Amino acid sequence: MKTHKLFENNNHTWLMFGRDNEKPEQIIDSNQYMVVTKNNAFLMDPGGIELFSAMLAAVIKQVPAEKITHLFASHQDPDIISSLGLWDQALPSATLHSPWIWESFIRHFGMENIKYDAIADEGGEIKLDNTLLQYIPAHYLHSSGNFNVYDSEAKILMSGDIGAALESNNAPLFVDNFEEHVPKMKMFHQRWMPSNKAKNEWINRIRKLEIEMLCPQHGRIFKGDDVKRFLDWFEALEVGLIGKK
Amino acid sequence: MSQQKVTLHREKIPEEPSYNYFVSAATIAAKLDQATHIAKQLSLTASNARAVALRAGERAAGFRPLTDFIDRLAEITITSSKKINALAATLSKTSASKVRADNTIKHFDLVFKKASESPFIASLDNVFTQCKLKQEKLDYQYTRQLGQLSEELSMLSSELRNAVILATLSRVEASHAGSQYQDALINVADNVEGAANKIKTHIKFSQQMVSTLQ
Repeated sequence: MKTHKLFENNNHTWLMFGRDNEKPEQIIDSNQYMVVTKNNAFLMDPGGIELFSAMLAAVIKQVPAEKITHLFASHQDPDIISSLGLWDQALPSATLHSPWIWESFIRHFGMENIKYDAIADEGGEIKLDNTLLQYIPAHYLHSSGNFNVYDSEAKILMSGDIGAALESNNAPLFVDNFEEHVPKMKMFHQRWMPSNKAKNEWINRIRKLEIEMLCPQHGRIFKGDDVKRFLDWFEALEVGLIGKK
Repeated sequence: MSQQKVTLHREKIPEEPSYNYFVSAATIAAKLDQATHIAKQLSLTASNARAVALRAGERAAGFRPLTDFIDRLAEITITSSKKINALAATLSKTSASKVRADNTIKHFDLVFKKASESPFIASLDNVFTQCKLKQEKLDYQYTRQLGQLSEELSMLSSELRNAVILATLSRVEASHAGSQYQDALINVADNVEGAANKIKTHIKFSQQMVSTLQ
């Protein structure tokens, strides 16, 4: 599991974990993100059971276990949060922030110790020391209860499955040629995203934010002008289609 | 003749159930659930025996006391089957928790290996100790519940030996009841023996499974 520092200032740091060469081949590669502040760490979409030991090993190289006070699950999928039963043992005092509609479903992964903070449909925010993170609604993209995390100070949007691409786990970290990247994400967005209306509402919401990095849960990160290119491309894309792979 | 009617189900015991012992525990629970249902049939047989004996009157005078024994056997079997069934269900639940606890330890062992150089690795010591304690507690519970289950299975198995004697005595008494009631009373004897044999088959299977788990 590789670790990359995406952003750092006096208040906080953004780390990205991914490109795990030891993961089983049939498992989709995923990006995990963590915001570290003075006394807290906020781990986003910590991943599936198969990734747990690699993830905890990577995370523990950065911060002590007791500092990871918050987990976030953008939605209920197994690649997002099926490791919960193990995190529950590793971080018994942590809080999991996730859409309210998934609480009784996510608890099936095993949750005896961790506290569930249900995020309302309209979103919300969390302050970690001096850093404010916002939960931006991204419902039906693709999950019916789904949030992104936005950091206005770092200008980073953790976009979950939006912007995801299916490619090898040796892929570069950042999109370097947008046009060449499009084929890697087109089918994913058309097949996984069910609603054009939800997509366009999300784009309108996101265009109002200042974003330097758009960080999906699979594939590469969009940086600078590629963020706008992605939003334009996504806006023009018809989703909710079953097409060829 | 009753023994010819009873199909003794020969089931294959997994050779290495310890590999997936929680599946074995669930299988035992399912088997003993079937035993409970058969025990309830035995209870119906007891009621039927009493009714036939009453109708037969003096001709079945020797049979009547036997219905009390059939009743008692049915009652003991139902109570014991229910208890065993509950024990097996608890064991199954404990086994599933034990699998999870064992897996957690395996994951932690990997983390300790992968992050041995981390300056923060010691921060996992406390939660790891808690997980180990939980695992040990579940191990203890698992062994204890397995022992209890084994003991109860043996007890019920002993009780069911009486069913053969009861069936034989019932057949002897049935032969004195006259042609009108003879068949019905022999049928009662067959049912007692048949139900007991079926339950014994399930118990034997469960005992074999339990022995591979111990």
